[in-house]
Amino acid sequence: MTPLLEIENLHVAYGKVEAVRGVSLRMLPGQIVTVIGPNGAGKTTLLAAAAGLLRSRGKVIYDGLNLERLDVEERVERGFCLVPERRELFGDMAVADNLLLGAYTRRRNGADVKQSLQQVFSRFPRLAERRRQKAQTLSGGERQMLALGRALMAKPRLLLLDEPSLGLAPIMVREIFRIVASLRDLGVSILLVEQNARAALETADYGYVLEMGAITHEGPAATLAHDPRVVVTYLGGSI
Amino acid sequence: MTRRAFYLPALVVLALLAAAPFFAASFTITLLNYIGIYALVALGVVILTGFGGLTSFGQAAFVGIAAYATAWLTTTQGASPWLGLIFGLALTVAVAAFLGAVTLRLGGHFLPLGTIAWGLSIFFLFGNLDALGRHNGISGMPPIFIGSISLEPTTAIYYLIWGVLAAATIVIANLLESREGRAIRSLRGGVVMVESLGISVFRIRLITFVIAAILAGFSGWLYAHMNRFVSPTPFDLRMGIQYLFMAILGGSGHILGAVVGAALITLLQNALQDVLPHFARNGEQLEVIVFAVIYVLALQFARGGVMPFALRFLPHRAWSSAIVPAAPLPRRTMPASGTPLLTVERLFKRFGGLEAVNQVGFAVNAGEIVGLIGPNGAGKSTVFNLITGVLPSDDGRIVFLGQDITRAGQRRIAEAGIARTFQHVKLRPSMSLIDNVLLGTYVRTRSGFIRGALRLDRAEEARARHEARRQLKRVGIDANPHDLAGNLPLGRQRILEVARALAADPALIILDEPAAGLSRPEKTVLADLLRSLRREGVTVLLVEHDVEFVMGLVDRIVVMDFGAKLVEGTPVAVRADPRVQEAYLGSVA
Repeated sequence: MTPLLEIENLHVAYGKVEAVRGVSLRMLPGQIVTVIGPNGAGKTTLLAAAAGLLRSRGKVIYDGLNLERLDVEERVERGFCLVPERRELFGDMAVADNLLLGAYTRRRNGADVKQSLQQVFSRFPRLAERRRQKAQTLSGGERQMLALGRALMAKPRLLLLDEPSLGLAPIMVREIFRIVASLRDLGVSILLVEQNARAALETADYGYVLEMGAITHEGPAATLAHDPRVVVTYLGGSI
Repeated sequence: MTRRAFYLPALVVLALLAAAPFFAASFTITLLNYIGIYALVALGVVILTGFGGLTSFGQAAFVGIAAYATAWLTTTQGASPWLGLIFGLALTVAVAAFLGAVTLRLGGHFLPLGTIAWGLSIFFLFGNLDALGRHNGISGMPPIFIGSISLEPTTAIYYLIWGVLAAATIVIANLLESREGRAIRSLRGGVVMVESLGISVFRIRLITFVIAAILAGFSGWLYAHMNRFVSPTPFDLRMGIQYLFMAILGGSGHILGAVVGAALITLLQNALQDVLPHFARNGEQLEVIVFAVIYVLALQFARGGVMPFALRFLPHRAWSSAIVPAAPLPRRTMPASGTPLLTVERLFKRFGGLEAVNQVGFAVNAGEIVGLIGPNGAGKSTVFNLITGVLPSDDGRIVFLGQDITRAGQRRIAEAGIARTFQHVKLRPSMSLIDNVLLGTYVRTRSGFIRGALRLDRAEEARARHEARRQLKRVGIDANPHDLAGNLPLGRQRILEVARALAADPALIILDEPAAGLSRPEKTVLADLLRSLRREGVTVLLVEHDVEFVMGLVDRIVVMDFGAKLVEGTPVAVRADPRVQEAYLGSVA
């Protein structure tokens, strides 16, 4: 199978500091791939560079297409969407309007957008209840749902999720991972960055460990979850 | 600009400026005089807009007040220009304090709008008062004398103008690196965090506004006695806008941006007046258009102004990483372990139709770590906001150390000894780590504006810095204390907030999801830190979703659901409670 996303030898620098140093990774259509690693390893930077928000060196090939000349907007139009760590919602706008903005690239197809909105509302009933509320009045967990819902409105083929479980109650964490797994069943591929390494490896098909800006381990998620070094450092177990 | 070393280039520039009257043409000196006078006003705009985030279009009117005050006093009353200076500054301060008191509490667009109205009205006032010579203005002011030396020659007043400018630049630079100066710099971007540190946003804004007006006042006085003639036009709204653009074009984030901007615009204007008449009969109108184009281009492509470009070519200031020894700041006596510290009774808060917090009550004893948990949207952060005074409660009572703080407001609550972090990190990303933590020491230190401006605060400042470094080290992010806070990953930004809260030496520290975004080893470090705080007698109240983290750390847990208290008890009891499992933990606990 041809990979959906292929990152080759990616470098990202902030001034003189290289945050991502020669990262290569690939994912197949319909796969969930996770990147785990400590704070400051460069995970968020890696996602932002792949989405076109940061300048980088190296190749990002999506669906056989070199993304070098494509800006963020064009990537989104092709179904390549990032859900950032800080959520970046429009606080003064209603929940429903935040969602509709997610479908901005499909705005000419009204009926289709409406249907997507209904799908998001049925997936997140909490958002349906609060559809007219301003986004800034939502609680931390609800903002999370809204950010994910907004990304789904773009009908993504590839979702980049940065810490989707951040700030969520345990019961919601399970719900979010259930949703992530169900998105795969719809054919959406997901690149997942998570501090909750245990849940991430349980959900993902394949995993990478990023340390100091470089990949130090990789393998099928189930194998990584039993790798002694990963267990001790990221899963809190002992050998 | 304080971040870099300017020594060599600065010395060359200073030497050239000092020697200018000996080699430059008299017209050049006149231009330099204008640059100096404009730069003083622009310096006020830099501290007001660039650092304090307040926009004023009315600075030219403050220049005018002082200029007309000294003109009137010296011509009609025969007073010395030095009396004129005192009179002009007093009038400027009075007007600025009144205008500030009226508009600064309102926030938003009221200050810029207020200053536009003020700028327009003062122009018409000058132009229509008989005592001020209407549109003809006042002429014949005496020159300034220092002892028996007359400053009438252009080359003589040149030294006074640039001397005043140099002194003002140094004083403002000192101020910005002091306790109150950090408060000024923290004004940009949300006031909730600033008030939570015990800083009065209104007071800081008002004083900043008055400082900018004083600089404009000095400029007006110099202008009046240099030209020895005043009329309304140089003080109209158009000039007010021009001062704002000088600061922006030069670089409003840098003190020297004021001088650079004033120089650029003055020289450009001069050049255009030479060139444009060759192209069109109405050179003056063309000049306005050329400036408009420059402004638009600058705003489009160089928002930071010229200074950031210039700084790239200068060496960075080297920071010593050693912790300078200093006596520790005084600490509060912690309440005896086990005594009641915080009591929350029947707390109630409604948002529209939603009862966000409904009759919640619990108590926290000194030396405890208490966890507040519950599903997303249960009202936990709202409870924190009610306790710390960010939101007023609709009903109920909050008692801290025997003191009713229900209506006390954020600042007094901070002074009483409660420090907090925020669920959505509230830092100043463009300030360094250490400056962010130093903001936390505000409630423990006393140095005011004048001490800061004159560097009389150095002893206390050294102690505060020592404390800030100690807290950074304690939370484990002291490797690069002079890096910008915005460059930290999100998880470490939360830890930086913890350091800032600790720097306030609180009796109670309230943490909203401190472990979110931390890796497992980092969580262990955080848990150890919180345990060591408990040993020191600091009480901790925290919201956190990592069940293992909470259960292994806290003494007691309060569980909320749908705005109400569901259960309270020990971690073991709470974990076993079927209601908690259903609402929060999910089936497996």
